[in-house]
Amino acid sequence: MRARVFVTLKPSVFDPQGKTVTDALHTLGYSAVKDVRQGKYFELEIEAQRPEEARRLAAEAADKLLSNPVIESYRIEIADEVTA
Amino acid sequence: MKFAVVVFPGSNCDHDAHYAAEHVLGQKAEYIWHKETSLKGADVVILPGGFAHGDYLRTGAIARFSPIMAEVQKFAASRGPVLGICNGFQVLLEAGLLPGAMLRNQSVKFQCEHVLIKVEETDTPFTTACVPGQVLRIPIAHGEGNYYAEPDVVARLERNHQVVFRYTNANGIATAEANPNGSVANIAGLCNEHRNVVGLMPHPERACEMALGSADGLILFESAVKAVSEGAFTAAAR
Repeated sequence: MRARVFVTLKPSVFDPQGKTVTDALHTLGYSAVKDVRQGKYFELEIEAQRPEEARRLAAEAADKLLSNPVIESYRIEIADEVTA
Repeated sequence: MKFAVVVFPGSNCDHDAHYAAEHVLGQKAEYIWHKETSLKGADVVILPGGFAHGDYLRTGAIARFSPIMAEVQKFAASRGPVLGICNGFQVLLEAGLLPGAMLRNQSVKFQCEHVLIKVEETDTPFTTACVPGQVLRIPIAHGEGNYYAEPDVVARLERNHQVVFRYTNANGIATAEANPNGSVANIAGLCNEHRNVVGLMPHPERACEMALGSADGLILFESAVKAVSEGAFTAAAR
């Protein structure tokens, strides 16, 4: 089963890279892009019987390693849930 | 007395720290590979600068799982003096030995320059030889040294006098211009509640001899020697 984990900086945390990308897009003429937040994306192949099991495991991995709870939050998608 | 310098794959200031302790100060110093499980009776532990594990995922995020870190945790818990320099500071943050996290520098650039930092607290094992308010000229070299913590955590750090070093101008005033990376409250270094674990982004080991442009960093190592020899900060059990 595939879990997708999206890690992003918390809204309260300033994102210097996102700001730089926003500025670059404005230079290219995309003034309609008001803000960019840069994050990380992980694909986890998980041996699990049920989507809830895969989700629980992915959440544990995100809590312990994939994200730093001081500055980041995350969102999980289980592939089977998305396609079903 | 003996310094232990932990070596992670990707550490690159380990030799500088070892040199400062052994050759400049004349103390014993020993490298400890990150897969080892003993600090070999060291009195002071240094987590050096560099790019442990290539800074993959986040700076310090993988290094904190190295076998030696369990020993560093124990050593810290028994009040032994631990100094995290630059990447070592980042490891201490990821390991939860110090609060907060590092963000990319506000400039989005890797910044390599001499900065001025003010010694805010002199009751830590790495500042005990300093004069309160002393301003040190020490180099920084980092891309992710923009210290961040939630406002209530920063308030607690200030209340407990855990901000040990602050980026300031020559007069010891924390201005926006003196802040090289956007760190909250100009924080350059801090300590834990028991004051035995200290982390800072600037590199004191790169400023231990005048040939390097500044010898201001030596006082951190001298402080450690003083603190240990006076018995002020020693690990309870080894």
